[in-house]
Amino acid sequence: MLHDNGIWVGTEDLKREEAFLQSASQEFSLDNIDQTDGNWTTNRRDFLKLLGFGLGAATVAASCEIPLRRAVPYVSKPDTIVPGVANYYASSFVNGGDYCPILVKTREGRPIKIEGNSLSSITNGGTSARAQALVLSLYDSSRIKSAGIIEEGQVTEITWTDLDKAVKGALAQGGVRILTQTNLSPTAKKTLEEFKAKYPDTQVVVYDPVSSAALLTANEQAFGVRALPSYRFDKADLIVSFNADFLGSWISPVEYAAAYAQKRKMRKASKGEMSRHYQVESHMSLTGSNADNRILVKPSEQGAAICALYNEIAALSGNAGIGGPKVNDKAATGLKKVAKELYAAQGKSLVISGSNNVAEQLLVNKINAMLGNLNETVDFGTLSYQRQGNEQDVMRLIDDMNGGRVNTVIVHNANPAYDLPNAAKFAEAFAKVKTRVSCSTILDETTVLCTHTAPAHHLLESWGDAEAKEGHYSMIQPTIAPLFNTRQAELSLLEWSESANLNREDDQPYYQYLKAHWSSELFAKQSKYNSPTAFWDMGLHDGILETGNEGRTVAFNAATALDAGAVTKPASNEVEISFYETVNIGNGQYAHNPWLQEMPDPVLRTVWGNYLSIPVEWDGVNNIDGWKGLLDGDHVEVTVNGITQKCTVVKTFGQMPGTVAIGLGQGRTSGGCGVDYGVNVNPWLPVQNGLVQYHADNATVSDKVGEEKMLASVQYHHTMGVQAEGKEEGKIINADEKALGWKGFQGSLTERSIIFQANLSELPELKEKMTEFHAHSEHLNEQTMYPDRSDWYENGPKWGMYIDLNACIGCGACQVACVSENNVPVVGKNEVARHHEMTWLRIDRYFYGDLENPRVVYQPMMCQHCDNAPCENVCPVNATNHSKEGINQMAYNRCIGTRYCANNCPYKVRRFNWLDYTTADTWPGNEERVFHANDNMPFYADNLVRMVMNPDVTVRSRGVIEKCSLCVQRIQEGKLTAKKEKRPIEDNDVRTACQTACPTGAIVFGNVNNPDSTVNKAKNGALDYKVLEEINVRPIVDYSAKVRNSNEALFS
Amino acid sequence: MSLHRIYSIIIVFACTVQSALFAAPTVEEGKNLFIANCASCHNKNMKDNLTGPALGGTEERWAAFPREDLYKWIRNSQALIATGHPRATELWNKWKPTQMNSFNNLTNDQIESTLLYINDVANKKPVAAVATGTDTAATGTKEGSNTWLFIGLALILGLLAFSLMRIVNNLNNINRVRQGETPVNRTLAQTFTAPGTIAFLVFAATLVFGYKTVDNAARMGREQNYQPDQPIAFSHKIHAGLNKVDCNYCHDSARRSKHSGIPGASTCMNCHAAIKVGSKGGTAELSKIFASIGFDPITSKYIDDYENWDDAKIEALYKKWIGQEYMAAKSLTAMDDAGRLTVQTQWDGIVKALKEDSNGKIQGPIEWVRIHNLADHAYFNHAQHVAVGQIECQKCHGPIQEMEVVYQYSTLGMGWCINCHRETEVKFADNDYYKQYEQYHDELKAGSREKVTVEDVGGLECQKCHY
Repeated sequence: MLHDNGIWVGTEDLKREEAFLQSASQEFSLDNIDQTDGNWTTNRRDFLKLLGFGLGAATVAASCEIPLRRAVPYVSKPDTIVPGVANYYASSFVNGGDYCPILVKTREGRPIKIEGNSLSSITNGGTSARAQALVLSLYDSSRIKSAGIIEEGQVTEITWTDLDKAVKGALAQGGVRILTQTNLSPTAKKTLEEFKAKYPDTQVVVYDPVSSAALLTANEQAFGVRALPSYRFDKADLIVSFNADFLGSWISPVEYAAAYAQKRKMRKASKGEMSRHYQVESHMSLTGSNADNRILVKPSEQGAAICALYNEIAALSGNAGIGGPKVNDKAATGLKKVAKELYAAQGKSLVISGSNNVAEQLLVNKINAMLGNLNETVDFGTLSYQRQGNEQDVMRLIDDMNGGRVNTVIVHNANPAYDLPNAAKFAEAFAKVKTRVSCSTILDETTVLCTHTAPAHHLLESWGDAEAKEGHYSMIQPTIAPLFNTRQAELSLLEWSESANLNREDDQPYYQYLKAHWSSELFAKQSKYNSPTAFWDMGLHDGILETGNEGRTVAFNAATALDAGAVTKPASNEVEISFYETVNIGNGQYAHNPWLQEMPDPVLRTVWGNYLSIPVEWDGVNNIDGWKGLLDGDHVEVTVNGITQKCTVVKTFGQMPGTVAIGLGQGRTSGGCGVDYGVNVNPWLPVQNGLVQYHADNATVSDKVGEEKMLASVQYHHTMGVQAEGKEEGKIINADEKALGWKGFQGSLTERSIIFQANLSELPELKEKMTEFHAHSEHLNEQTMYPDRSDWYENGPKWGMYIDLNACIGCGACQVACVSENNVPVVGKNEVARHHEMTWLRIDRYFYGDLENPRVVYQPMMCQHCDNAPCENVCPVNATNHSKEGINQMAYNRCIGTRYCANNCPYKVRRFNWLDYTTADTWPGNEERVFHANDNMPFYADNLVRMVMNPDVTVRSRGVIEKCSLCVQRIQEGKLTAKKEKRPIEDNDVRTACQTACPTGAIVFGNVNNPDSTVNKAKNGALDYKVLEEINVRPIVDYSAKVRNSNEALFS
Repeated sequence: MSLHRIYSIIIVFACTVQSALFAAPTVEEGKNLFIANCASCHNKNMKDNLTGPALGGTEERWAAFPREDLYKWIRNSQALIATGHPRATELWNKWKPTQMNSFNNLTNDQIESTLLYINDVANKKPVAAVATGTDTAATGTKEGSNTWLFIGLALILGLLAFSLMRIVNNLNNINRVRQGETPVNRTLAQTFTAPGTIAFLVFAATLVFGYKTVDNAARMGREQNYQPDQPIAFSHKIHAGLNKVDCNYCHDSARRSKHSGIPGASTCMNCHAAIKVGSKGGTAELSKIFASIGFDPITSKYIDDYENWDDAKIEALYKKWIGQEYMAAKSLTAMDDAGRLTVQTQWDGIVKALKEDSNGKIQGPIEWVRIHNLADHAYFNHAQHVAVGQIECQKCHGPIQEMEVVYQYSTLGMGWCINCHRETEVKFADNDYYKQYEQYHDELKAGSREKVTVEDVGGLECQKCHY
């Protein structure tokens, strides 16, 4: 029998399997710990020996002379640096087309944290997990440390002069190709022009790791512009997305999420105003999980689905239909209704597609044209340049290389030997090129194949600029002197082209070059500043320059040929597979960043690798199982296009039957810590008309061939409010009370309140239900054993937080921001498998609704700082207690590691340092090799990595509990600022790391004692609740109910 | 109150109002102006030169010219020099390239006040000038110790206990005799080996040793009175005590940051570009600063490519400087043996201070030995205490102005912190941040509360210092 209490985490949860209950009830798993293994058999005598030795050693150590510690001042103290005070510099996070304007926090010259730049009208201060993780990649010891010659994958150091000589010699022979990703920098483009002027036989080949080439081509054909429009999600009342993950990874997710959330927030919803979002896809993407309705179509039916919508809208608007293949019946029914709604929302709707098929993108363009969305929600007035690549050029390059027409290839910011579908062919052709130069910062798959390495600076060491959207310029400025003997790639190009515009005498020639370009080109485009100096200075200060633009309008070119015959044909194979870009790893660009690897995938909840999503099958009654009876962690062999690889299975709700899916970007073989996790799926990607397709219709999946011993999935970790079957009476009772052995105990009969959700149409009912619930909880909570502390918080500030679950899209930016701000350690795959992940903020993902196509709600969950905190009462040493500002305090140095508090925490947000992850203590035996067993030292033992630590937060050692502190270091800093300025504290003085990172503004923090604070203003009365409100712990975090604007009669 | 007193109060009040209105020059105002504007370049004793000349006798030296010229000179010296004023030109020839800052906003009265103060200090007897400032922290040690009182009390109580024991024993024995038993007369040895005594002794020993163990364990890693040798024999006594340089001048980040900051060599050079020979160490210590930053004391210029100098070149320069100063001090025309020894010793000192450190070069920072080492898990913020709490540096660092070599004055233990947080009053009244503590304000107004301590605003909570 299914125990569906309306909301669930996974199939085991629904079925109440023994293994699940065990996993859920044991906060810290003992699975996979072979206690007889190794030499850790300790008996009483050993214990006493160790105890004696420890005491003796401590005494000897303490009685020794005081160790000499140095205080080293500056020789000439720079005016701008005050030791102990952070400086912020405006810069930009740019990686190919990924773009986010940022502020870099530096302490004593070390970048340690990324914040969003709120001056940007593109992101409004939001960030992504990828942007947040930028600082860690700076301190990567696998970076290439000097110029060199590469032989058999080994770098032999040479001087830059020698390298320049060698490269220039090669370039002089002609036949030059520069291979790169999307390039947003106007100044870098100028360096390419100079290079081409010097070496006329040069071609620049641009492609993107995840391609949008078809979209660009379709825009060129339909509108005459080979660029992307600004998609105005903030103006769209109705959004239809065909497999475009625009909130997670598609083109400009930070921008889109911010705009999308404007129409979704609780404030809007509570007034009944909310956009509607349909997602047409086969695999549950982050965007799909946020959609109001998902329409399931197989990957091969994408074209048919677009045709179906096209035909419906054409019929409604009096245009000619196009025919085309047929989509499945259910989807056809749904799309018919969608079309009607779209037609009713003309000019206020938006249709997009993530497809890489030109014919499909043309149809989507025409649909938007028919709906009057052009120049409204599809705004070509401000072009976006965030995708410029065309992999067809790479295919041509391979031919050229094979044909001996290429003498030199310079690879910059691209990794074709990994991320091309035909990487093997590329490598083969590449080997025929005489001189192969890589500007990569790490020894990635392509660099290994090169002859020379000219390692570029890390972004945080570089000068540069970016024009992500027309007229939106932003600055990239270095925030640390180069750590290694590297050189900016643009400077290398200028050196090689012997540029006359380069002042080689200057300390920073590229800085001068950039400045000259801004003064000569961009200064004229604005009217705000009168002198070029002021213009440059403010550009550096703000990091943003928005000049506005001409504001063109476009019309659909009537001569464009629409061809329903060229769309993807539905296939009849048993299994189809789709490949998707993950939120954190991209197509491998971020695979060597441990923060991103350890950030759970929002939907799958897995870390460190890519996993094959298989559908769950429900027999309609009470059995719900994985497809083919497969379980999470089973190995299967997947064959696509004749290539077989072993994948690990994860059952995924919302995965369409007859389809499987797997993420891109894993299975790296070279470059850094991400090597050897997951499988590389790029060789599976089919290529049609030179365009990479992110699905294949001829996949075969074997039965189980093995199983993953250490499955790193966090979905059943730290569960709360679990229900279980009572042994005696067969009734469902609360698992917590079951453990307690009490019946009829207060609260045991109530449903635990974790998520409240409703459809927009049922909003009044929800309000009523929640009002009733609040009253009931209050009644239950009257009977309390906690002391009355009503006057405890009257004086001074009391902190509070509000989380709008309607605005939360589950992107994980807050989670990585928290890790970065609070020195939360990375623990590695095996430790995650043992429930030992250390993240203070987790994003719980719950399903509800239809079992076969459920809806999702994300809930950021961190310490709730309960006024009646159950953890505080059980600590034997008073290491955790309450402050008068409402903070549940944790004193690490007092903690003795009983873990009673973690056990007693109803939210399961306390984390225990099982091992010495940060190498903070002195016993090497406690340290963990985080990534690979043969790493020569623990991750945090590397002094380079330790530079990323926030010096205002204690680095915890083994044996202590830690948890969210509400960024107390920021609270203290904000209070101090106000005190120094002798003024009352304001909302902006204190903003938590998760709050500043959030692209949608879902998290609000502030002083609840101030009636005018934003946190008080954000609240929505009865539609807000506290998680587990009924158990009288009185948390200070309020959540909003989740409201969806679903069309409940879509398929009827 | 007599009429007479009221009358005198009115007169005092009227005078105050008058002085506020007409602001006649005063020594007090002059002192403030001098400290704010002049003290960073001109010596406070008005007798010795610093970056700028000694100011004692300024008025006499300018007596030959109109008073207005002196005002002009002080407001903008370069302008006066440009006019070719004879006194100005004379001074410029003597002191260039050092320029005096402009103080265009000073009024004539303010300048007069400053001059008043300068005269006042210059005419004071030297003894008085030295004595002020050094007599602040000496009080408190003489307060009679209670040790003898406790010993006396313990003796009396001991005797009392002994007599009571005897009485109890005697009463017991009397009782025994009455009941026909033989009285027990324990020998001293028997008394000491009795189970009760042994139990008591064990108990007492456990108590004493336990207390001592815990107490000593808590002291582990504490470094009170730690007084290491420093690479430069810098004397706080001379700088902070004798010359009364404001602590914040060198430790400038104490007001704005968690760290008080160790001044860079560039900060030293603000004064020591002019004072090139120390009053105590001569060339021995100051040459280390020059060698660290690359200052050529002979030409008074910074060396442009100092980074690229090799040790031999550096050695030649500073040996020349030390030798030159040695000969000048002794009025020698040729170097003697003692001089050669001095030069070598001082050069060795430079090498020891600068080269034998982590960067292995003469050039580069002076690596001081850190004295105050707070535990890593404790967060301390100087700005909070200095700027907001307005705590004197000496409160934690002790009589720093008397320390020839700095030592750790306080325990820096948690009990010490907590105690201060319990006792210290918050600067409540003049800081709008504390407005939100309405209840306290009400209580203060109503008189039901005497003061608001740091403890009252959460100063004892764990996460004020541990996070």
